[in-house]
Amino acid sequence: MGTPTTHILPCTAGIGLRAPHYREVLQGLPKLGWVEVHNENFFGGGAPLHTLLKVREHYPVSLHGVGMGLASTTPLANDHLIALHRLCDAVQPAAISEHLCWNAAARMVINDLLPFPYTAEALDHVARRVEQVQEKLGRQLLVENLSSYLTFAHSEMTEGEFLAELTRRTGCGILFDVENLYVNVRNLGVDADAFIKSIPAEAVKEYHLAGFDERDGCLVDTHSYPVSSEVWELFESVLRHIGPRPTLIEWDSDIPALPVLMAEAAKAKQRLEVCHACVE
Amino acid sequence: MLALSDDLTVFGSAIVRGEAVSPLVDTVYPHYSVATAIDIYRNNYCGNLHDALASAYPVIYQLVGDDFFRFLARQFIAQYPSCSANLHHFGAELADFLTTFEPAQKLVYLADVAALEWACHRAYFADDAVMLDINKLAQIPPEQYSDLIMRIHPASQVVRSRYPINAIWHAHQSGENGDFHIELDSGTNIVLVSRIADVVQVNELEEDCAAWLHEIQAGRAMGVATDLTLERFPDFDLHAALLNLVRQNILIDFNPGVIT
Repeated sequence: MGTPTTHILPCTAGIGLRAPHYREVLQGLPKLGWVEVHNENFFGGGAPLHTLLKVREHYPVSLHGVGMGLASTTPLANDHLIALHRLCDAVQPAAISEHLCWNAAARMVINDLLPFPYTAEALDHVARRVEQVQEKLGRQLLVENLSSYLTFAHSEMTEGEFLAELTRRTGCGILFDVENLYVNVRNLGVDADAFIKSIPAEAVKEYHLAGFDERDGCLVDTHSYPVSSEVWELFESVLRHIGPRPTLIEWDSDIPALPVLMAEAAKAKQRLEVCHACVE
Repeated sequence: MLALSDDLTVFGSAIVRGEAVSPLVDTVYPHYSVATAIDIYRNNYCGNLHDALASAYPVIYQLVGDDFFRFLARQFIAQYPSCSANLHHFGAELADFLTTFEPAQKLVYLADVAALEWACHRAYFADDAVMLDINKLAQIPPEQYSDLIMRIHPASQVVRSRYPINAIWHAHQSGENGDFHIELDSGTNIVLVSRIADVVQVNELEEDCAAWLHEIQAGRAMGVATDLTLERFPDFDLHAALLNLVRQNILIDFNPGVIT
């Protein structure tokens, strides 16, 4: 079977593909622009990798990491890098991304996406690690802005400024999670327009959209609901400023039936098409 | 030494051990307190580990129920904190933990079921290997058999127990109606875990076959392994064992250097 041209993400909507939908997708081959999966679920090969390689025969695949810890202060885990390299070789993904966060320090590993102070020192540190990853993989890494529930008193720049400088230094791309920005706007009072203007549009290679939950007044980035009307509105504004890019619907807990995800993707696709029309 | 490292350690200790986070982080937020924020991170931390444990140990989860599993997971997380960024690595020590976990001592088989489930979890993520074509083995002249070094599928594992863990495991797979009767003192159970294509297999293994497989796993040539097994089990049937282990995708290849 010939592999379709799937080395770049098409500028349309895709979905985050999770275990409950593997079978349905492989049997029905629904019309999906592309899919994104979490790297760590396919490390070590075996049964999960089998499934992913079958998916890869039909769709462009983006590999999205949740465990690299680009800002962690323990050394980059070599086994993690090797496993990712191996996965890249097997899958030949259309994109590969990680989060601007940390998950390990001293002797602690915290399996989450944690914020850190945006200082010049942190920028040097993260830039070195992004370079290390890009060197190992031999390709560009996309780095995703984070949803955060607190800020550090001694941050020296905004997250947008940090990301902009990171792309300038390392040549990495930006995965712009619009829902993460919205969560930060509501929780932390981040200025959405300032964020959008602070990152270089040409470095943005992908968007993420998802739904959040709320707890005691704090929006929590749970990926457990449809995209809210406020996030759609912010997405439209982002499209006007930055332009259309491959856009992913993420849903990671209380995962709904596939048609629900596809309907969300259709909404994103429609907005991308309106935006395409404006650009042309 | 990075100042960042100190910052992350303070923040991390607040999440993991509930230590103070001020004056590191801003304390005023428009709609909630900093304690709420730390609480959310703490919940994420415990919740992610709990979910990873529950997904690696679905039978233990069913055996003890939601509430007790939550309690057990909390104690386990405190005793064996995560040490890998890959959540699929979390929970390897659950069987060890359960052997000394006082509140579960009445469920004498629990630790062994956990060992079996971890073997299944590892088998699921183990590397692929092509199934051995039994005809390829049949082409080897019998006089060369004893020199063959067999290769074992990376998913293969053997779990032993004084309890009928094979029956317990099978009774808790989806599709079973939960209506079962298990004799706890039915004798030693040897369980073979393997993977055929994408599906993890769990089957009981005869004592002699397990002994032979143990020698093969130790890298012994087939002749030596068979002689050692026959010393302990005079009725050992090599032909039957080979067929069984090839069918279960345990033996995947043999040393090609011997054939040429």
